[in-house]
Amino acid sequence: MYRQAYYNEDFLIDYNTNNDYYLDDVEGDYPDYIKREKLKLPDVRSVDVSRHFTRLSEMNYSVDLGMYPLGSCTMKFNPKYSDYIASIEEFNKHPLEGEENIQGNLEIMYNLQEYLKTISGMAYSSLQPSAGAHGEFTGILIIRKYFEMKNELDRRNEIIIPDSAHGTNPASASMGGFAVIEIPSDGSGLVDIDALKAAVSDHTAAFMITNPNTLGIFDDKIKEISEIIHNNGSLLYYDGANLNAVLGITTPGKMGFDIVHFNLHKTFATPHGGGGPGAGPIAVKSFLKEFLPVPIISREDGQYKLDYCLKNTVGKISSYYGSFSVLLRAYSYILKNGNNLKNSTEKAVLNANYMANELSKYYKIPYKKLKKHEFVLSTENTGKRALDISKFILDYGIHSPTTYFPLIVKEAIMLEPTESVTKKDIDYYISVMVKALSTDSDIIKRSPVNTSVTRIDEIKVARDLILTWNKNEKTLNKI
Amino acid sequence: MNENDVMLGALNLGNINELFKDIPSDLTVNMDLGTPLTEMELINRINKIKNKNNRNNLFFLGNGIYDRFIPNLVNEIISRNEFLTSYTPYQPEISQGILFSLFEYQSIISDLTEMDITNSSMYDGFTSLAEAVRMAFRINGKNEILIPENIYRSKLDIIKNYSYGLSLKFISYNFGDNGKIDLEDLKNKINDNTCAIIAEEPNSYGIIDENVFKLNEIKRSSILITYYDPVSLGILKPPGEYGSDIAVAEGQQLGINMNFGGPLLGLFSFKKEYVHKSPGRLIGMGNDLNGKKAFVMTLQAREQHIRRAKAMSNICSNQALLGIAALSYLSILGSNGLRKIALITMNKSKKLKNELNKRNVKTVFDSINFSDNLFYFDNKELLRKNNISGGIKLSELSDINKYRNTSFFSVTEKTDDNDIIELSKIIGD
Repeated sequence: MYRQAYYNEDFLIDYNTNNDYYLDDVEGDYPDYIKREKLKLPDVRSVDVSRHFTRLSEMNYSVDLGMYPLGSCTMKFNPKYSDYIASIEEFNKHPLEGEENIQGNLEIMYNLQEYLKTISGMAYSSLQPSAGAHGEFTGILIIRKYFEMKNELDRRNEIIIPDSAHGTNPASASMGGFAVIEIPSDGSGLVDIDALKAAVSDHTAAFMITNPNTLGIFDDKIKEISEIIHNNGSLLYYDGANLNAVLGITTPGKMGFDIVHFNLHKTFATPHGGGGPGAGPIAVKSFLKEFLPVPIISREDGQYKLDYCLKNTVGKISSYYGSFSVLLRAYSYILKNGNNLKNSTEKAVLNANYMANELSKYYKIPYKKLKKHEFVLSTENTGKRALDISKFILDYGIHSPTTYFPLIVKEAIMLEPTESVTKKDIDYYISVMVKALSTDSDIIKRSPVNTSVTRIDEIKVARDLILTWNKNEKTLNKI
Repeated sequence: MNENDVMLGALNLGNINELFKDIPSDLTVNMDLGTPLTEMELINRINKIKNKNNRNNLFFLGNGIYDRFIPNLVNEIISRNEFLTSYTPYQPEISQGILFSLFEYQSIISDLTEMDITNSSMYDGFTSLAEAVRMAFRINGKNEILIPENIYRSKLDIIKNYSYGLSLKFISYNFGDNGKIDLEDLKNKINDNTCAIIAEEPNSYGIIDENVFKLNEIKRSSILITYYDPVSLGILKPPGEYGSDIAVAEGQQLGINMNFGGPLLGLFSFKKEYVHKSPGRLIGMGNDLNGKKAFVMTLQAREQHIRRAKAMSNICSNQALLGIAALSYLSILGSNGLRKIALITMNKSKKLKNELNKRNVKTVFDSINFSDNLFYFDNKELLRKNNISGGIKLSELSDINKYRNTSFFSVTEKTDDNDIIELSKIIGD
């Protein structure tokens, strides 16, 4: 039986075990008017810092512990060779080093740009965005600049997004100053062509979608969609969160997309670190190259350089060149696996379809039968809530799926097993999901009980809003 | 029998290609990503590339990213697979380790800055500053942003990129010949339309400017956004003490490798009355059903997955793991340790200025500096010939139309005194 560790752990600030990290004494003669009055950091021995985080880590679930099938998150195995490579000291360079000292780093980045171009079927790539949403935002800036140069920005002030889209899509579009037009999905969960045609107008700057969509269904009308958008002079944006479904089989370029972002922490197996850091490079068709953020990495006579010569660049969107050590991990993953990456795609899709097919015997799985890398089921007719089932699952030492997303499916449970799990893992997961259906509702509503803590009163947390360990928060208001 | 065949059998499929029959054949591709490598071959290939990097003997780079010593325990903690390979803690019951740690990160940065609240991380310093400007606009709806005339070009570039659709006006305020804020000029530029004042401490010349401490008295109803250096707070007045409304910084110095400039850590703190206007994730403390102390992501209705087009920000993935690095670093050092690191840094800057001045490489300002020091020096070729990393020109970083023939040399606690003397011999007379 699974039992997660629990420690009644103190905050570091309450340890008071006398700091023993040795540093030489140092004096300095500086005026009092620049100095702070007081500073209260934790006073704790190194051994206690180590134990504190070891205990906390035991209270945390991870890919290295078991199946983690969050839909649209692609929680695959993070290979350890990538961790080692990212730790190589020679790559730990200062971003303002002269180009003669960083040829190795630039070569890695150049090669990754090339890989991403091939994988996406695009002409140019920028590695600068820090995460998927940041890549989307960069794409939006490119769309802006493109229409600004064509003197069409005044009228092209809308971006169309399907109702099944990831939340970051509308948020990124709106941050870039566009109005968001949401269109409904059709009866099969795909883009409603009539609704799209009705929404497209003089105001349309772009259409943002992912394919396969968040239901895990490949939209085979993508060519028609591409024509509708391009005939209107608008651009087509590919949200790459679901790229793990088609890598090596088809490309966004071939489907007609103009801009794509990648989530390296999903498709390319870099660890997600409890929420980040990730990396969200983008790639574009050749007519959009001049708009990319600078610098991109170029090669001339065998020398690599930071190339700032893009005529209509959107400029900078990160402090420097992107999440280099994440890029390095992703590059290692692609270099290592090469043409075998297609096998990973096939296994990911096989796993999802097998799991969907088995679960369809117990749960309603709406829309088209053939899935790609993920699928969405509904607990609507089971008498159980998606929330309760997701909590019940935790008691069996496996992580819950994404719940209540996409918004177009009621009581949604969204599963993405990835290629990293075996039939044995999936069968166990299915058995738990089936067990949930026959478990007494009172028990299921009290679950989980085998995790470090049980359910949390989230409404009270939002009301009390205790966001720091400071016991008397009012003292912080002193100015 | 291979498990894939069993699974295909359960699906009544003859082969794996049938799973892709929904992809029209004219869309399928054949791409060449190369022959797979063994792990040994991979490491050999990477080692060859790594050897193309050089490391100079003398290192004086800084201006935002610093080569500081990192206690080994920090890397040990953030390498733990339980943290490293977990996702955003959407299921709090099974993710208390990350949530507890991030709550402590929020707390320790709030204590360091003396600000009320800190979110659980942003991408980096520059995007944090840009998000702070957006937040200021959400707070008061005004449209004039006052910016230092010497601000780094890429910071301003990112702020502008993040403010499309807000119709903001950027007005720069002047600095005096002492390299400090011209308070009269700034005062004259503050009016009823002023949305926010951006102030840097230390500023873009590397100077500790006590005028920043006075801005709260003249800011009127605008939002004071401070861009600070987190290690400097071991000794300097923290943003909360001098009335900052929002305080942001690059947190790389707190136990994170330079990583060629990424991934970094955006520190983002603010006064508590503005919490509902703030971007990014927040971890709150409460109790589970049995009364145990427990943590969960809170106020998610501000975020993109709930609010969509009306979200405070589009940020989703953040820099959680690096937040834990910063928390570990500050806990290992403690107050006195951080104070020592800050003092050593300032002492090294003093030493650098003395040694270079002695050899007639003159400082631009008579000032107290933290890590970055600006000199009348403009000879990149000399530096390259002598394998010296450093000497970034002010004009490479900022559009300010003064001091065009000046360059930066930066220090940390790792800078060796002998290296400072060596540098002065090479570039001095």
